[in-house]
Amino acid sequence: MSVTQSGTPAPASKFSTWFFANTATIYPLLVILALVVMFAIMNPYFATFNNFTNIGRQSSVLLIVALAGTMVIMIGSIDLSVGSTVTLAGVLAAMAMDTVGPVGAVFAGVGVGAFIGLINGGIMLTLKVPSFLVTLGMLSILTGITNTICNGQSILFNDLSLNSFVNSSPIFGIPNIIFIALITAAILVFMSFKTVVGRHLFAIGGGEIVAANAGVPVNRTKIYAFMLCGGLAGLGGVVLAAQVGAGSPTGIPTILLDSIAAIVMGGTALSGGVGGPQRTILGAMVIAILSNGMDVTGVSSFTQQIVKGAVIILAVASTIDRRKYPFIK
Amino acid sequence: MSHPPALKLSNICKRYGPVTALHSVDLTLNKHEILGLVGENGAGKSTMISVINGTVRPTEGTLAVNGEEFTFGHTAEAGRVGVATVFQEQGLIGNLPVYENILLGRESEFSRLGIRNRAAMVRLTQEVLDDLGLDISPYAITGNLTFGQRQLVEIAKAFALGRIYPVDPIILLDEPTSALSDKETQIFFDLIRKWRGKASIIFISHHLSDVFEVCDSVVALRDGTVNGRWPIEEATPDILHEAIVGRKRSAGYYKETEQREELGEVVLDVQDVSIPGEIHDITFEVRAGEIVGVAGVLGSGKTDLGKVITGEKRQGTGSVRVNGVTLKPGSRASALEADVGSIPSERNVAGVIGMHSIEWNLTLPALKNFKMGNTPFLSSKAQAETTDWWIDRLKVKTPSRAVLISNMSGGNAQKVVFAKWLARGVKVFVLDDPCRGLDVGAKEEIYILLRELAREGVAIVLISDNLPEVIGLSNRILVLRSGIISAEIPAPIHSKPSETSVVSRMV
Repeated sequence: MSVTQSGTPAPASKFSTWFFANTATIYPLLVILALVVMFAIMNPYFATFNNFTNIGRQSSVLLIVALAGTMVIMIGSIDLSVGSTVTLAGVLAAMAMDTVGPVGAVFAGVGVGAFIGLINGGIMLTLKVPSFLVTLGMLSILTGITNTICNGQSILFNDLSLNSFVNSSPIFGIPNIIFIALITAAILVFMSFKTVVGRHLFAIGGGEIVAANAGVPVNRTKIYAFMLCGGLAGLGGVVLAAQVGAGSPTGIPTILLDSIAAIVMGGTALSGGVGGPQRTILGAMVIAILSNGMDVTGVSSFTQQIVKGAVIILAVASTIDRRKYPFIK
Repeated sequence: MSHPPALKLSNICKRYGPVTALHSVDLTLNKHEILGLVGENGAGKSTMISVINGTVRPTEGTLAVNGEEFTFGHTAEAGRVGVATVFQEQGLIGNLPVYENILLGRESEFSRLGIRNRAAMVRLTQEVLDDLGLDISPYAITGNLTFGQRQLVEIAKAFALGRIYPVDPIILLDEPTSALSDKETQIFFDLIRKWRGKASIIFISHHLSDVFEVCDSVVALRDGTVNGRWPIEEATPDILHEAIVGRKRSAGYYKETEQREELGEVVLDVQDVSIPGEIHDITFEVRAGEIVGVAGVLGSGKTDLGKVITGEKRQGTGSVRVNGVTLKPGSRASALEADVGSIPSERNVAGVIGMHSIEWNLTLPALKNFKMGNTPFLSSKAQAETTDWWIDRLKVKTPSRAVLISNMSGGNAQKVVFAKWLARGVKVFVLDDPCRGLDVGAKEEIYILLRELAREGVAIVLISDNLPEVIGLSNRILVLRSGIISAEIPAPIHSKPSETSVVSRMV
């Protein structure tokens, strides 16, 4: 039924109108607030500046990788190889650190990631294999390459200039790694809403045929999305290697699922077209606060896994506007 | 009346939050009556159908079937007392065979201990299809049938109920003919006439001529209330038009007098275009300010021809030129460079993105024009101003430019499809059934718009299944039959060809 037709509008306060129009943004915020209050009561240390910078430190790489995945999920595809890209890029950046220097290491990591994205997107488009399967295969390939390179050993490096840059806190005592993640997020939010390419990403996710009819270069834009995703995952790998001072052959094992959870909890639908990087910031915050809060309050790591899973399901169930989904599969 | 009415709605109200879709509707469908239901998009027709078939619970009011009161919570319950719906958007599952679709949701009637008696299902389906004179195999995979055939399967599905349950079916037809070719429409009307006396039918249609052809009575809905009921002998197109739109029908529905007689230069030049097996050696020109109609039955190749011009489909041989520039075959980008706009027939698949706002849809084809100066960044202000200007210009009914298309009526959504091309600017406009599923009021506004575009010198190709529309609007009509131009019929203001003369060249 049309909202534009004549009808008797029920009296609604401005607040409730605003609230219901923005539930997708408000719910994650409420979840964050509830978690913060709860953990602060359980352990006063939780709500200290020191701990908040800890949360930021622990979740910066997660945010960067979740932003990466958002770019591809916005067009209705998915990239399951982000986690393995992080690991490979981290290892390669660690190796580059002492040979071509820290700046070269950044370019190496981001470049390798973007190249992986190009391959993912290219295979999807030319061989018409769904992105889920292409990137599932890529996940395994990249893991194998990483293990071959490392042979199970971490790659250590001597040039620690990037390491100290990432971990130092010259501005308001906030570590630089947090700024790196937030600036990345800000650029992507701006790109999504204020540039032609960003709007094309939304249009492809919302209706590919409509987009093509309107002259959107669909295939090229899809390749951009995958390259952007890969490049950002590569950046995540470089930042991770810089942060810990080594390229680890295991990376962050939970990052793939955590990043997808952050994206979906934030409110970017897996079917694409709605949401965006601004939403992913909130989703990543929920996961970061939950993990840190449980650490601080002494919850065992096994229990943490159970709680995290339950919160993800609950959060998504309460965020999704079910009226928009006639069927759930 | 010796029988209780087949269906009686009393004081039905349906509210969706602040929006009232139905205001205390009373409606009686007599036994074995064929009742036409007409009204604008958003008048509440579809909501009423949903209330009757149990997909929507009314906020207030009661519903009686054969004198017995019912509250349907589920379509299966409605089905058991004989209520069946043929939907406007097809409700068939493509990968199932015909017999499974026809008996979908009724399998329990053919099952023992959870095992379906497939043979019995096929047998019953075959009987129904034979009865209706349809040459469709029960085993055929539904998705492989043509659109028209699937619509007939949908109708057979409704009639199958009458065989499963010992009741006279109450059949709700929601714009069943909108996607049928003329031949299929005639088959369909014959079916309805054949079933007169065996079923009670509510027939929703935007084509008043269909209503006059098969109905016994007609009810007009306007803004969620019943705005009159007439026996068919007493109804006239003008009475119905006024009851539907709320104002008198203006003379010259298709604005024939505004048709341009002085045409400009040749803008679109189609030369020997062929797609093997689809269309053959199509050649024609369209001048600035000219509307060229393309008529033909389903499968005549008229949609393919449109897609070749817009670059959505690649021709085998031949060329398309716009203002002397040859377009790259099968390239939408090349057609867009020459300013070829396209109104696709499937609005929700190819025309608009339902989950996005009016603003995002409207600015999509011309995003580059909204950049701030020489920067790569888009200007929110420019986008908002342009959107508001077009909302105002095309009288799109909406509280704001941020409203999602999925919350708008078909007529308003279609105006957004037009606006997105007009905001970009077009020299050639290919329209494939631009008024499909629109009510008379919205259609009239589109017709006025087309005349204005012609006045501004746009070359228009109008592909449509609606013959009066093609004849009324076009300067010239190309009739396609089996992929070739079987006739080119001039249609000047004062000597429009008759429908029969066009139809005779279509089949």
